[in-house]
Amino acid sequence: MLAFLLFSLIFSLIYYMHFHVAVTTWRRLRGQASGELDTSYVRLEDYFGQSFRAKMKSWLQLPKDPASTELLSMVDKGGEKIFIARQANYPISHEEEEMLVVDGDFLCGSHCSFNKELLVRQDCVVGPSSELQALAVDGTARLNPGTKVRRWVDSHGFLDIRGNCKIQSRATSRASIRFGPGSQAQSLFAPEVATQGRREDKSKWGTNGHRVVELPVPADDAAIEGFNPRKMVYMGGGCYRYDGSLKLDAAVHITKPLIVRGDFHCAASSFIEADMKVSGSVFIGDASIVKANLVSEGDMILSHAVFFQGILHSSGSMRLRHGVRGLREGVPVAAHANGPLLVESNCVINGKLSSTKFVQAVVTPVDWFESENSKSV
Amino acid sequence: MGIQINMAILVLIARCCVLFTVLVLTIYAIRHYWMGFSRLKLRNPKDMNELVGFMMPRITVMVPMHNEEKVAADVLQALVDCDYDWSRLQIIAINDRSTDGTRAIVDRYAEKYPIIQPLHRDSGQGGKPAALIDATQMATGEIILLFDADYIPGRAMLKMLAAPFADIEVGAVMGRVVPHNVGGSLLAGLLSLERAAGYQSAQQSRFNNGFTAQFGGTVGGVRMSALRAIGGWDASSLTEDTDLTFRLLLNGWRVAYVNRAECYEEVPISWLVRRRQLVRWVTGHTECLHKYWPRILAANFLSRMEKIDALLLLAMYLTAPVMVLGWLASLVLFFVESAHEVPILAIAMGFVGYQLFANQATFMEIGVACMLDGSRERMLLMPLNILNFFASTGAICNALMRFYWRKLWGNDGPGWDKTKRTREPGAGGPENGNGLRIVGRTSNGLYFSQKAGEE
Repeated sequence: MLAFLLFSLIFSLIYYMHFHVAVTTWRRLRGQASGELDTSYVRLEDYFGQSFRAKMKSWLQLPKDPASTELLSMVDKGGEKIFIARQANYPISHEEEEMLVVDGDFLCGSHCSFNKELLVRQDCVVGPSSELQALAVDGTARLNPGTKVRRWVDSHGFLDIRGNCKIQSRATSRASIRFGPGSQAQSLFAPEVATQGRREDKSKWGTNGHRVVELPVPADDAAIEGFNPRKMVYMGGGCYRYDGSLKLDAAVHITKPLIVRGDFHCAASSFIEADMKVSGSVFIGDASIVKANLVSEGDMILSHAVFFQGILHSSGSMRLRHGVRGLREGVPVAAHANGPLLVESNCVINGKLSSTKFVQAVVTPVDWFESENSKSV
Repeated sequence: MGIQINMAILVLIARCCVLFTVLVLTIYAIRHYWMGFSRLKLRNPKDMNELVGFMMPRITVMVPMHNEEKVAADVLQALVDCDYDWSRLQIIAINDRSTDGTRAIVDRYAEKYPIIQPLHRDSGQGGKPAALIDATQMATGEIILLFDADYIPGRAMLKMLAAPFADIEVGAVMGRVVPHNVGGSLLAGLLSLERAAGYQSAQQSRFNNGFTAQFGGTVGGVRMSALRAIGGWDASSLTEDTDLTFRLLLNGWRVAYVNRAECYEEVPISWLVRRRQLVRWVTGHTECLHKYWPRILAANFLSRMEKIDALLLLAMYLTAPVMVLGWLASLVLFFVESAHEVPILAIAMGFVGYQLFANQATFMEIGVACMLDGSRERMLLMPLNILNFFASTGAICNALMRFYWRKLWGNDGPGWDKTKRTREPGAGGPENGNGLRIVGRTSNGLYFSQKAGEE
């Protein structure tokens, strides 16, 4: 009996506490509005740079430290100091622990380390193998080989990221970015992002008289290898679905929106005129044109000299081979991969390259061959 | 002897009922636990947020309004403040037979902003689907986005909702609704938990795992070509959103979910309003179940898991009467001699039933959602959800009983019932920030707070 009473008491106590906590919480929350959203948020690619500059603007209004000199002044913003220099030229292996604003040009030697954010009002050159926290530059910026940036880089002018640099977050520029071989970033955004070895070849686009297969509705009844017309279903609204993989040896002209439930491979000089969704992997042959949006749930490869004008999105990895171009009028293009996005040489994208993992400029035998060729010439 | 046989039959039936209930609730409990765990596992959800701003199709935003003078100005102002290119934007403000000042507000905004086109409906069939049918004829966009009048879209909302349409397989997109009046009443607080579980956990988890998300008819959009392909809006449906979701799915399109496209809504603060809302949802949802289950099973392009998920989603309201059936059967078993043989079943039923409090939002999912949202304090309200659970169970059973009664005797169903607004005019909107502009959320640094008109 005692055991039963004891059990009942403990049980009732736990049960009471259960609701007591809830009722107390409710009394606290009653009358409050939701505390989660700010409806004025907008998305900006160069948010980091803009936000940092805006904060700097207000911090620099603070009174200057009395110990300030004409060449180097200091602002104390409560536990953190901001150094303001007219211009800066640091020797090799220099280490800086405070935030730094340079009104003129900035130059540092190799193996330097800047552990707080850096704002440069004019041009900036970072020495090889240096490490930075974050960098905002109002002029042009050059990151020499092996530079590591723990957060972001934003430049109003040309941003030159030399070989084997690593930017943990975003690299943005209002002018253009050159992305050196072996370098990595999470995303790159500029009116023009180019990899090493840019060369404007004479256009290779054209079918040279080869057969071009028109899909989803073939122009004639001739058999097409790799295509089974019975698998093509009209979904309505001008959109088609192909229930299976579509691996074609011929060039293809996609005229209507098409969903492929499988892999999609097409030969050189294909023309993707309408939006496509592929549930498997995608391979677009050399010198093809992708005029619309291309989305895949597998890996995606755009072969040599492919020209795209819309959005590329891959749930797997993506590779943009030598000579790929991305450009459209009005709105910039974008290529995003959930896996690694590898960009070969001589690629020029007017817009954004991003990856959930990393974007990397890679060196291929083509680069080696071309560099050897140019030497011999 | 005869009484003994009758009792034996009764006990047998009761046991079957309890077993059936446990089975059904266990299936749902497993589904929801799986959703919760899977959501936690994939914290970086599958989305197209990196493409926001790069996909800029011509869009038409529709705002159906029936006697919405309290909130009409807020939603229209919020839409014109959005950072979408006006040359690609059309806003259709639908005044659906309003008898209050809605017409005047719509006309005033249309005069001030050329991108707003008024549509005054003075006759014809009432209700949102009928209004949308008329507005669709005026639409010039490739994408139609929908907002109810009590919603307040943020500045980046239109771009966020447009981005997933880069995928041609996406026929519709759904954003996330967040109640802003959580402190308005206990019910509102509890509904905010339910909404969090439904969107942050269930919708995102289903989308991450390749199942179609559910289009909610507001804070979302539909591709015009897909809408045409499936025959447009269904004016006879009480839940045109669920109906549209399944018509899209059965025609090969998907519904994408964008968790970051968060929009404030006003949830019911009185139990009566909540009951009416539930009656409409239950009726419409169950109608869809009856309409589409054979086609779902026959769709050869859907995987087995997709079919199971779709059927479980459509049948979710049936769990309420099943649970009541289980309780009644347990009572029978409790009062008969062989009661000692079934406590395990009764305990199991109680356990899984408890996990499925209120409109399928399990404790697990509420917990996951609150954790991901960073609103752990609200999680402590969970025990009080028992009130919502009993109220919802009653309302759902009542609605289903009426639904099947009507089906049996061929009576007309309930009409469109507009949810009552409690917000005062001007109490919301991105510009005035009266209780709504709350700072403190970080979004991986991708968004920042910027007041309208500020550089």
